Amino acid sequence: MKQNVEKFIEKLKSQFHDDSDFASRLFVCSNGKIGFVFLKSMSDPVLFSQSIYLPIQNFEGEINKQLLIDKILKNNGVESIEEEKIFADILDGKVIVFSDFFDGFISVDITKYPTRTPSEPPTSPVIQGPREGFVEDFKTNMTLLRRRIHSKDLVFKTLIVGQHTQTKVILSYIHGVADKRVIKEVEEKIKNIKIDGVIDSYYILSYLEKRPNSLFKQIGNSEKPDVVVSKMLEGKVAIIVDNSPIVLTVPFILMEDMQSSNDYYTNHHYASVVRFIRMCGLLIAIVAPGFYLALQLFHYNILPLNFLITIADTTQGLPFTPFLEILFIFLLFQILYEVSLRLPSYLGLATSVVGALILGDTGVKAGLISPPGVIITALAKIALYTVPEQQSQITVLQIVFIILGGSLGVLGIITGFVYVVNYLNTLDDYKTPYLAPYAPRVKEDLADALLKSSINDHHAPPKSFPTGKGGAK
Amino acid sequence: MKTISARQTGIIVFLTILANKILVLPSVMYEQSKADSIFALIAIFSFELLVLTIFLQVKKAHPDQNLKEILKQKVGAVVAKIVIFAFLVFFLFKTMLTYSVLYIYLKDLVYQDEFGFLALVCLFPVVNHAVVCGLRAMGRTFELFYYIVLVGVLFCLGIAFFTDISMPNFFVASPTEILNSGFTHIFAFGDYLALFLFIDKIKLRKGEGKKIFFFAFVGIFLVLSIFVVFYSKYQVTAFMHNNALADLLIFSVQFNAIGRLDIIAMLTIMTLGLFQLEIFQAAFCESFVQVFEKLSIKYAVAVFDVLFFVIYLVIIKKYEIMLSFATDYLIYLAILTNVVLPILIYALGHKHKKELSNEKSD
Repeated sequence: MKQNVEKFIEKLKSQFHDDSDFASRLFVCSNGKIGFVFLKSMSDPVLFSQSIYLPIQNFEGEINKQLLIDKILKNNGVESIEEEKIFADILDGKVIVFSDFFDGFISVDITKYPTRTPSEPPTSPVIQGPREGFVEDFKTNMTLLRRRIHSKDLVFKTLIVGQHTQTKVILSYIHGVADKRVIKEVEEKIKNIKIDGVIDSYYILSYLEKRPNSLFKQIGNSEKPDVVVSKMLEGKVAIIVDNSPIVLTVPFILMEDMQSSNDYYTNHHYASVVRFIRMCGLLIAIVAPGFYLALQLFHYNILPLNFLITIADTTQGLPFTPFLEILFIFLLFQILYEVSLRLPSYLGLATSVVGALILGDTGVKAGLISPPGVIITALAKIALYTVPEQQSQITVLQIVFIILGGSLGVLGIITGFVYVVNYLNTLDDYKTPYLAPYAPRVKEDLADALLKSSINDHHAPPKSFPTGKGGAK
Repeated sequence: MKTISARQTGIIVFLTILANKILVLPSVMYEQSKADSIFALIAIFSFELLVLTIFLQVKKAHPDQNLKEILKQKVGAVVAKIVIFAFLVFFLFKTMLTYSVLYIYLKDLVYQDEFGFLALVCLFPVVNHAVVCGLRAMGRTFELFYYIVLVGVLFCLGIAFFTDISMPNFFVASPTEILNSGFTHIFAFGDYLALFLFIDKIKLRKGEGKKIFFFAFVGIFLVLSIFVVFYSKYQVTAFMHNNALADLLIFSVQFNAIGRLDIIAMLTIMTLGLFQLEIFQAAFCESFVQVFEKLSIKYAVAVFDVLFFVIYLVIIKKYEIMLSFATDYLIYLAILTNVVLPILIYALGHKHKKELSNEKSD
């Protein structure tokens, strides 16, 4: 249907509620009028002028729609569209071209908005290996994946989520490698999301989890394209969310967080040792303060005599009970951590001085806290960062185990631990046992679990979770 | 249906074989038949291995049916319910006995005061939660902890060799005393019968029965080793030590570089005890659900908790009473469940097989 150009511009303008970002241009040629509409903040004005306006102005002869698409508009992203797609394209930063002498609309891509250049993500630095990280722009993120997987089987499916934000959520997988049921399930879940807006990938994360109220994360995430690609090659599905540098992956197993991309770029014997230390770090982080309390309060008779004397010496005269002392030190560390996150970087040194010297050293000298208590809590807090992806979960568990160890002793620690493991064993999102390949034992996947064998042995597809080549059923 | 694998089934057998046999049993059996208790143990374990074979045959013949359906098919609904009810009572008291044994350990060696009761109460939420989570989650947890438990037990055994030990005197007790000792303590055995209640939840492929036997042999080997090492270490004073596995470490050499190692026994015993309680309570709840079909597993757990507290206040609080109750009265129940019922199930299966072959030949 041919448009009355001025009226149509007015109509669009009113539908954009007289938004000052909304721009329109009118060009009068020998055939009639041509209208252009776009958003200033999302489009490149120079590109508009060079590839759209000037070529039309300089064209001599009768203009028609086909001529515009094929010859006149000097831009790669030119396509004929229907009226329903106008708003989506304008919001994407494209220019909509329409006229009173041809039917339909032409969309020309002149999108330009500020984006960050891929750089090393601060949360997962590496000593060796690729340093690129995802950025907030979904197109760049798609390119980062495509550059690593040169295959026609790499699929990107775009879905729109968020009533107001209309955020692009891209489902990415390797056809034939990812399990069809998992792809379908994820797609269904994303399509059924009813939310006002998606600001970050974490907004849709809870919609993908079977138990959104659980303490434990059930969806994998990474800021590194090499990590996501390796997961996709195993048969997992990646979810890119526009405006988020965190790419989600499903299915997820806990062992993923024990692995680091560094492990794959170093000797596998060394990687095994490091993974084992990481596992020990995780256990120490969770139970060390609780266990120390249990020994101090209930089972002091099994402590080595010298250690017992040291503890007795240092805890004598403390105003707090051992239980309150550990809780106090824990709270102190947590406050310092929260402060250091939010303080401007130039104040970081001041926080360290206040934390280490004033609060720690003076606290001990003033007889408020004991050195063993500080050491144990500090050890647990540092050990937490051997598995930074599980930081929030471990912090909550630390408090739980301090309470259990302090009130019930070693029995409390064991019952708590078994309870947590039992619970984790009930998590089986996307038919994937959370603690695989150890519970249940999946022999084939042990080559790349806590111990890592040579990369030459990693040729079989994983069996711990469903993939297009078999795996868990 | 959420099933468990052959390996997980094997680990359940391993855990049940260790259940109630590594703490009090060595000393109480020693009182009756001295070190020759080991012969009673070997005889009972041999019979248990036979029953395990029966279980595998029943599983092979009825891969997807539960015990009640199998029995209903063969002996009718009423008898089936009575048999399952017998298992229900058996596992109720099994759980009581395990709580009781754990209580003795906690009270004597860990907390050394009445705090043991509070600790037992604290076990409830964890055991209840495990049962509600289901056998699959439980099986996976056991699988994860299997090597930890195994290493813990082996460690306790290994450390005992660092003290002066000499072989105990065998062939001191008469055959009657040995038989009597086995008979009196038969309630401590037959824990693996829980498998009959979980039969439909076990997924066995062809030839996987060997895996279950492997774990059974590992369990039997460990129990026998604990008995032998314990008797070797304490000789005539063995009857005075109520916590065999823990006592293996307590009077052993101390490693100066590490300090006291009792913590290893403590962690192993507590973990083992907790898992055994989970298995027995799950067996109780499974039989409860099979008897009272309309009630869910959550009701079964609630009923168990109420029953436990009532019986605890009457019996277990004085754990000596629980032990004497087990040796005086529960042996008859144990003979029914450990001996009569497996033979009955085997005989019925055999009869069924014969009928089938007769039909074929006709």
